[in-house]
Amino acid sequence: MAMGKQETAEQAVIRIVEDLVQDWDLSLKEDVGGGTMLVKDLTFASVDIIQLAVALEEHYGRKLGFQDLLMVDGSYVGDLSIVQIANFVEAKLKRAAA
Amino acid sequence: MTTRTLFIGMDGATFTVLNDLTSKNGEGPVMPFLASLFEGGTRSKLFSTPNPLTPPAWVSLMTGRSPGHHGVLDFIRAEEHGEDVFFTLYDSRDCKVEFIWSIASRNGKRVAALNFPFTAPPPADLKGFMVPGFVPWRHLRRNTAPSDLYDRLKALEDFNPKELAWDFEQEKQALDLLTDADREKWVSYHLPREQQWFKIAEFLLREEAPDLMAVMFDGVDKLQHQAWLYIDPNQQVGELSDYHLRMRKLCMDYFRQLDGFIKSLVTAAGPDVQVFLASDHGFTATTEVVRINAYLHEKGYLKWKPVPETEEGKRREDSMFAYLDWANTFAYCRTPSSNGINIRVARKPGDTGIKPEEYESFRVKLIADLKELKDPETGERIITQIHVREDVFPGAAMEDAPDLLLVLRDFGFVSIKNKQPVVEKRAEVAGTHHPDGVFIGYGPGIKRGEMIERRNITDVGATLLYSLGLDVPVDFEGRVPDAMFTKDHLAAHPIKIGAATNIKGKSEDSSSMATDEKDKILAQLQMLGYME
Repeated sequence: MAMGKQETAEQAVIRIVEDLVQDWDLSLKEDVGGGTMLVKDLTFASVDIIQLAVALEEHYGRKLGFQDLLMVDGSYVGDLSIVQIANFVEAKLKRAAA
Repeated sequence: MTTRTLFIGMDGATFTVLNDLTSKNGEGPVMPFLASLFEGGTRSKLFSTPNPLTPPAWVSLMTGRSPGHHGVLDFIRAEEHGEDVFFTLYDSRDCKVEFIWSIASRNGKRVAALNFPFTAPPPADLKGFMVPGFVPWRHLRRNTAPSDLYDRLKALEDFNPKELAWDFEQEKQALDLLTDADREKWVSYHLPREQQWFKIAEFLLREEAPDLMAVMFDGVDKLQHQAWLYIDPNQQVGELSDYHLRMRKLCMDYFRQLDGFIKSLVTAAGPDVQVFLASDHGFTATTEVVRINAYLHEKGYLKWKPVPETEEGKRREDSMFAYLDWANTFAYCRTPSSNGINIRVARKPGDTGIKPEEYESFRVKLIADLKELKDPETGERIITQIHVREDVFPGAAMEDAPDLLLVLRDFGFVSIKNKQPVVEKRAEVAGTHHPDGVFIGYGPGIKRGEMIERRNITDVGATLLYSLGLDVPVDFEGRVPDAMFTKDHLAAHPIKIGAATNIKGKSEDSSSMATDEKDKILAQLQMLGYME
């Protein structure tokens, strides 16, 4: 998987999400961006979120512990934006590098 | 390039059924081509993994290693985190050992592996083609290797990824509305699915001729779970209803179609190919439900957590993911498909569970109590075998395995529901897994018309590598069944033990699964008979 050195986490998430949904026959009003919601805008089901997590972990070559993003106060979150995912990934990578 | 080895997997295939379908009953065999492979080849029963279940068994077949070493023990892995349990799905990254697809690839062989579970995401070192099983259609592209293969498949006439992949929703619907008509429809749904996999296999065989062509047909398992009553020859007695006869015919149509696929693939591969067929486990009839957590509750080993009267509470009750009061739970079964008991040990301050020094005595008492679960009428033990994990799961992954593995008297999977009675007769016979699967070899160098002694599922991976002309890694537990091959062949192609496999590192972390997905997987497991 090609990744430019300057690619931000948000760019990486957008690229991977776009790759993921290309066969889903979605009628998107706008391009996938930071504010795009996975469930509301892209019809993600929970299995799709898991697959996205796997794809991101593959991309970064490590597991990222997505349960910390998916669960808040003991309940699973209803939806996630691209930015939320990107921020989570960035924080995890920073923590791992520290 | 020509294909040297053809492997056809048939999930759950058993000689109990295949012997019937290859024999000349009245109008002739339902599977005449398979009958010719029996006559012209060598076969044996194939002893499955200690828990004869799709994940550990297929992974053992594909790695030559037992589950304690490869670490894929169940569909779902549970991790205790304080007062809650997270459930994660196993995937190929959880396998701690090397797959034969990678071993063959790094030895210069091109492989094609279609519809094998736990092969997603595909390995980076793959030399060849992979379309994994157990992947929803929306994610097939990403999990198909190489990256251009998916578009090549899309160009095939009648290619339909929705038909090809697992359809969780359809199976959930079938669960909700399992009328006779829906069951009939559900069985019918597997005919076009298998056709899709067959067409991909045929395409790759024709266009690419990989050294190892491997495809798995999983409809055998699914049909047998849902329609064992209509397939098992022992159940075809007495007066049979019109519905029964119609279901029987539908199932026979499936097996007839499968026979045609096998014939086409073997023929397309050419006369020089060595053909192997195997299943991950066999099948038999289950006649009763055993509610193991209800029994452990009776004996004081676990305490149920009150289920709130909310939507989430209802969902929890329906999904029955061991919803327990952890502070007062010391032993429990996590998932029905595990057929295992986990003992909770308090390993650090603040943990709940038994003290580490009490483990041995606690386990001895637990085993004694499990042995006491008996049929009140006959006195027969309901749990016929109780294995401790160091006996059946030795290896690097043993700590992830249940402390005890149970074998029920009818080989069924336990229920973990909070319901009485503990043991209840099923209204209708259902299919369940049996440890004895099938292994068949056919082609140049393979003995004709032989039935050899039972082999182990880990032997299949070793045999496929041998057939490719490769050494069997020294750390493989599987061995090549030399009784399957002619003396001349063995003399010309001696079995060689070679360098060890590349051992993978342990995963750093795990991703968790959302509730909806757990429910879907559970619904699927329930459809397949792993749950009550």
